[in-house]
Amino acid sequence: MNIVVLVKQVPDSTEVKINPETGHLIRAGVPSIINPYDHFALQAALELKAKHDFKVTLVSMGPPQAKSVVQMGMALGADEGILLSDMAFAGSDTWSTSYALAKAIRKIGKVDLILAGMQAIDGDTAQTGPGVAQQLGMPQVTFCEKVEVDGRRVIARKQIDGGYEVLEARPPVLLTMIMTKDYTPRYPSFLAVNASLKKPFHVWGAADVGAEEQYLGLKGSPTQVSKIYPPPQREKAAMFSGSGQESVARILQIMRQEHFIEE
Amino acid sequence: MASMDAISRNLMLDSLKEYAKRRIPYDLIRELDEKNEFPAEILKEMYRHDVLGLHLLMVPAEYGGVSGGTFDIYRVCELLARIDLGIATGVFATFLGTDPLNVGGTEEQKEKWLKRIASENLLVAYGATEADAGSDLVNLRTRAEHVVKNGKIVGYNLTGNKQWISNGGVADLYTILALAPGGPSWFLVERDMEGFSPNKHEDKHGIRLSNTAGLSLDNVYVPAENLIGMEEGKGLLQAQAVFGYTRVMVAAFGLGAGEEALEQAIRYSQQRIQGGGPLSEKQGYTHKLIVPNYVRMEGARAYIEYTSQRLDSGEHGLQTEGAIAKYGASEWGNKAADDAIQALGGYGYTKDFPVEKIKRDIKICCIYEGTSEVLEMTIYRGRWQEHLKSRGRYYLDMADKLDQVHAEEPKAGAHAAALALRALAAVLEECRVQKLTRHQHVTFKLGKLICAAETAAIFSTAAAAKKYSETVRFDREGWQAMARVFAREAALNTALEGLALVLGAAEQAGNLADAVNIEAVQAEQKGMIADMDLAAAKLKQTFKAK
Repeated sequence: MNIVVLVKQVPDSTEVKINPETGHLIRAGVPSIINPYDHFALQAALELKAKHDFKVTLVSMGPPQAKSVVQMGMALGADEGILLSDMAFAGSDTWSTSYALAKAIRKIGKVDLILAGMQAIDGDTAQTGPGVAQQLGMPQVTFCEKVEVDGRRVIARKQIDGGYEVLEARPPVLLTMIMTKDYTPRYPSFLAVNASLKKPFHVWGAADVGAEEQYLGLKGSPTQVSKIYPPPQREKAAMFSGSGQESVARILQIMRQEHFIEE
Repeated sequence: MASMDAISRNLMLDSLKEYAKRRIPYDLIRELDEKNEFPAEILKEMYRHDVLGLHLLMVPAEYGGVSGGTFDIYRVCELLARIDLGIATGVFATFLGTDPLNVGGTEEQKEKWLKRIASENLLVAYGATEADAGSDLVNLRTRAEHVVKNGKIVGYNLTGNKQWISNGGVADLYTILALAPGGPSWFLVERDMEGFSPNKHEDKHGIRLSNTAGLSLDNVYVPAENLIGMEEGKGLLQAQAVFGYTRVMVAAFGLGAGEEALEQAIRYSQQRIQGGGPLSEKQGYTHKLIVPNYVRMEGARAYIEYTSQRLDSGEHGLQTEGAIAKYGASEWGNKAADDAIQALGGYGYTKDFPVEKIKRDIKICCIYEGTSEVLEMTIYRGRWQEHLKSRGRYYLDMADKLDQVHAEEPKAGAHAAALALRALAAVLEECRVQKLTRHQHVTFKLGKLICAAETAAIFSTAAAAKKYSETVRFDREGWQAMARVFAREAALNTALEGLALVLGAAEQAGNLADAVNIEAVQAEQKGMIADMDLAAAKLKQTFKAK
């Protein structure tokens, strides 16, 4: 079986700041990491590889430095890495990104299983994975917490409100993975990082995958982001101690004062 | 060895960071610090090939390592120091212990021992220091006597005592410096050799997670093939050859620990409300305790990177540069950690906050691998020769280059750095004319002035560059403001302290006040507070309260 894992390099959101005046992200000095959901998807793929000896190929899209997440995946055990990197891709929205990724996957050839993180922590759209499945005309299962393969059956445990359901699919299929205790993301040893440099790694541009420019980048994207801004700070909450009755009386008093309720 | 590609290096750093987050929380460090305990299990685990394989950084790929260059090792040392300087010292001891082999070992010796260090994850110790031979190894007492069989030297009997050896009580393999009939030489001694025994673990002021012990060698028989380089008398040269490089590692310790302490203070200062607002908004706090320290640490970083890159490009030696890197990073780091305690006030004085431990730990950087005073002397000696050889042009030429930097990028403090260098040239020349270097104090003080002025030059040059190093965590505006603050301080100190130094030693100072250009140096101070305001704002932005 051939597995493709979609990985994205994202700014470490715990370190991201927004310039309050311009509303722009301050990227200087903010470290980049593998999207945490993708890290789980990668781990799921590597465990399948360890069990069944499948081939794992990583596909990412981003600037040249996004090679980092691909190399990390190869250091952890993936067999091959592909980075879609081209100025033509810059500014692509989720539709346009899905289009480019789907083109790359077609070029790879026979792919049985695609794993992607449920969403990326920078945009939080959760659209790219499903978009790729749609572009490839492939079934998809989202919000998976566990994946297993039995012969030609892919068995996915999907998280739902209050529980889970187990779904089965015939390959090819795309799954999006959540972060779950079933997988523990690992980090590569120094030796493995060094060895990963010898694994096949390719940088593909738009022309390499046969993507048409009219569907790529800012111009080819149907959605446009007009502004990013931090949510307004909530005002400080007032805390009351004392009996329930006393507190309710005080809350009512404030609500009347502020005219939330009438006398 | 050339350094690796940045992506590989940063992946390794990420792995180390994640490991530390998971396995070495502060509570554990605090407990081990209190118990004065070496975490053997953690070190062994960090050496495991499937976990990190940290020691492989020092071993060339042909012997099973990953061939880390100086820049790579500096980055790892900086990160280790941010985690814990005791653990960092344990790792460093293996690096240092391996060095005589890397530098002086024969091909067969490297093949055998480097491969063993790599594959068996050996902890190594570097055994040079003795009670009467610290920085001055000439007084070495440990002897290596020939063992002769059939007229052929088959081995050596080593007898003597070593002191303050990092990893002394826990290493598997020791490189021991001993006086052979042909002169000081390095020998490979295995822990289980008869007559070899480590002494008790020292109860130290700081770096209490590192094991430090004396070693007793009582007629320890070492086969002739364990003489590093298979030639007697090369020991001191082999020790000297790596100073440029090993001192960069300790410099990285000072940098990592010093910046870590300050970053904790910066985050704290945004939450601590006093006098109606957070401390981070008060100049009396930031411009005294935070900004000048952070700026000096960034200067030290620029100098460490400059030296690392030169070593990685194949230059040898660089003893003076290594000394400048280590002296600056250690002294400024030590001061930074001290001020970080002050910045946290009462909290900083308790063991609940890591700055207290960092302050105790970082002091070692001013002591091991060459004390600050030995480095002042080393720096002075190295550059005094250059000053004489160039007939006083050494720093003037460097200043001319800074003028070019300033012409292309006027915002990086290069003008102030050039003033510092010209003042330095004038002070050195006055010392020469009046023969003031007969005073030891003058020579050591010159070492200090040289360190600051050269660091200013390198920092300004780096801040003027079109592309910044991967390590710079500030935007161009912020980093250049820091370079300006550093350069102004260096210019002022070089001129004023240089003048005071000469006045204190000489009959008269002639026209030195003009020569150091006091007026221009003072005029250059314009804009200092605005730059410190800017630096304070950038630091707050980068190290947000958690």
